[in-house]
Amino acid sequence: MSAARPPDGAGSLRLRSLGGACPVNAARGPSLTRHLLAWVLGALTLVWATFIVFGYQTGEHEADELTDGHLASVSALLLPLAPRGLTPEVILPPAQSPHELKAHDYQRSISVVLWDAAGRVLARTGDAPPPPFASADGFATLELGDPPQPWRAFSRWDEGRRHRLMVLLSQRERDDLAADIAGQVVEPGLWLLPVVALVLGLAIHRGLRPLRKLAQQVHALDTQEAQKIEDGVRFQELAANVDAINRLVERYHAALTRERALANEFAHELRTPLASLALQARSAREAPAGPAREQALGRLEEDALRAGEVLAHLLALARASRAELHEAAQPLDLDALARRVVSEFAPHAHAGGRELGLSSPGPFPLSGHPVLLELALRNLVQNALAHTPRGTQVEVELDPAARALQVADDGQQHGGAPGEAAAPLQPLRLGLGHRVVEKVAALHGATFEPGVALPDARRAWRIRFAAGS
Amino acid sequence: MRVLVVEDDEGIAAGLAAHLGRAGHAVDCLPSLAGAWNALATEPYEVVLLDLGLADGDGSELLRRLRAVPAGRLPDPATPVLIMTARDQVASRIAGLDLGADDYLTKPFDPDELAARMRALRRRQAGRAQPTLRYGEIEIDPAARTVRRAGTPVEVSTREFSVLLALVEARPHVLSRPQLEAKLYNFDSVLESNAIEVHVHRLRRKLGEGLIRTVRGVGYYVPGEPPA
Repeated sequence: MSAARPPDGAGSLRLRSLGGACPVNAARGPSLTRHLLAWVLGALTLVWATFIVFGYQTGEHEADELTDGHLASVSALLLPLAPRGLTPEVILPPAQSPHELKAHDYQRSISVVLWDAAGRVLARTGDAPPPPFASADGFATLELGDPPQPWRAFSRWDEGRRHRLMVLLSQRERDDLAADIAGQVVEPGLWLLPVVALVLGLAIHRGLRPLRKLAQQVHALDTQEAQKIEDGVRFQELAANVDAINRLVERYHAALTRERALANEFAHELRTPLASLALQARSAREAPAGPAREQALGRLEEDALRAGEVLAHLLALARASRAELHEAAQPLDLDALARRVVSEFAPHAHAGGRELGLSSPGPFPLSGHPVLLELALRNLVQNALAHTPRGTQVEVELDPAARALQVADDGQQHGGAPGEAAAPLQPLRLGLGHRVVEKVAALHGATFEPGVALPDARRAWRIRFAAGS
Repeated sequence: MRVLVVEDDEGIAAGLAAHLGRAGHAVDCLPSLAGAWNALATEPYEVVLLDLGLADGDGSELLRRLRAVPAGRLPDPATPVLIMTARDQVASRIAGLDLGADDYLTKPFDPDELAARMRALRRRQAGRAQPTLRYGEIEIDPAARTVRRAGTPVEVSTREFSVLLALVEARPHVLSRPQLEAKLYNFDSVLESNAIEVHVHRLRRKLGEGLIRTVRGVGYYVPGEPPA
C-alpha cells in the first residue's frame, strides 16, 4: 500500500455512478424480475398443463360414463315396449336422417336394434350398420360397417329372453362429446393464462420494489462521505445485506480516513520544507550579503535535507507492499539493528540534553524488512528525543521472549515544555511518525501500541511482533 | 500592513517575516493557536496568514473562533484571513473557505503570489477594485510600492509609503498615531516617539503640504476630496 497514494484514488469502492443514482450495471446481467417471472410462469404453466390433461381426461371419462349411462337408459326405456309397441311401423327407417330431429348440441345420434330370440331383426333405427346378434351382452365396443368404424353398444335381453335390444352410439360422436366437455373445462384456463401472467408480472414487479429501492440506495452511496443506508429495511432477507453493506462502508471509510490522514501528514511534512525553501531562497536572493543571507542559506540547506528525509520515508513506504514485504522478508537481528540506530542517535541526543540507551538481553532474531524496521525505530527514537524535555532518559528496550520492541522515556518526570531538538533531530511530526510506525508494524503483521504507561511515570511506544515472525 | 503569521514552522515563519518585512509590512509570527489568539485580541491586524497544522491544534479552530466573536472590539471578526497550508485537496479548500477564510494558498507558494493575494484582500477590505489608488494628482501603486505625483515618480521610503497608503485608504477618517504605529510596526520594533511625525513631515515635503492634515491632539487624515 502506498502511503503517498492520493486518497481519492485509494481503493476502488466507489459506488456512486457518474450518471447519478442510476444503476451502473443496469444494462448488464439478467433482470431478477424477468428471472422470477420466468420461474413463476414456468411453474404456473406446468400446473396449468397438468390441470388441462387432468381436465381432459376427466371430460373424456365423464363423457364415457354419460354416454354409457345414456345407452343403458335408452335400452331400459325401450326394452319394456318391445313386446307391445316397438313395431317396425313406429320405428323410423334407417334411411331417415336423425340429424333432422336434432334439438341440442349434446343430443347424440343413437341407433337401436331389436331382435327376437331367434336373432331376427324386429326393428332397427339410426345410422349404425347392422350389428351381429351374437355379440356379448352389456357394454361393448364393436367394429361395424365397411370400412369398420368403432361403435359403442349396450345390449340386453328382456326378462323372458324373448327380445334382445341393442343401443348403439358412434364412438366418434362419443369422442367429440368428450372433447367438447374437456374443451369446456380447459378453455377458460387458456384464456386466463395470459391475464394471470400479466398480473403475476405486475405483482412480482411490485413485490421487488424494496429490492430495487435498496439497489438505488446502494448505488447512491457516497463512501467518500461515509454514507450508510440509513432507511430501515422491513424485510429480514434484505436486512443482512444492508448490515453487510454498512459494515463494508464503515471499514472502507475508516481505511480511507487513515489513508487521507497519512497523505495529509506527508503532504504537510513535504510541502512545509518546500515552502520554507522557496521563502529562504527568495531571502537569500534579496537580502544583502551578510548574516541574513548566510542564515537564509543555512536554512535552505536544512530544509532541503528535511524534505529529502520525508521523501525517503515516503519512498520506503510506497515501495513496501505486504506482498513485496513477504518476498523481501529476510532474517535479521533486531538487537543489532537497534544498536546501530542508538549508536547513531546517542551523540545528538546528548547534545540536545537527553540520554539515549539500549536495554537488550541479546539477539532478537526476526524475519522482516530491515530498512522499514530501521525507519520505524528511527521514527520512535526521533520522536522521543524531540518531544520530551531536556534531561529525559530515552531507552530502546528489546524483549525477544515477548517479541516486543519499545522506546520508553521518563519525560513526564521532568515536566516543562519539550526542549528544542538539535537540528539533526528535527522530527517528523508526532502524528506522522506514529503513522509510519503503525504502517511498518502492520506490514510485518505486528501491532503498534502508542503511549503505553509504565511504572515510575514512564511511557513507551511499543511494537509487538507476532510469535514466530 | 500589519500582518499576523500563525505558523509553527520556523523556516516558513522566518522566511515570511523577512519577505513581508522587506515589502514594508509589519509582521508578527506566532507558532501556536493560543499565542495567535492573544495577539488578535491585542492588535488590529489587517491580514492573518494562517497555517492549519499547528502544534497545539488545527488553525481552522482559530478561524472559527475569530469569525464567531462579536464585532466592535478586538479580536476583529472581519479581519481578512488567508489560509496557507499543505492540504491541497479540494475538500480542504472548500472547508477552509466555508469556515470564513478569505483566501487559500497551498504550500509551497511563490512569495510574490502571496503578496499579490494580500493586496487583493486589502483592496477587497477597502471596497475598491482598481489595483492603484488615485487621489488628485497622486497615484499610489501598492503592488509596485511606488508613488507618482502628476505622473512623476516620487521617491518614498517603505515606512513613508505605508503611512501614505494607510491615510489615503482611510480617508476622510482620522488615524491616530497609535493606529498608524500599529499598522507600521510589529511587536519587536523599537519605536521612537516621533517616528510617525517624521514620516508625515517627509511626505508633506515630497507630496505637498495640503495632502495630510493634522488634527492636533488626535492624529492625521487625508481629506475626502483632493484640494482643487
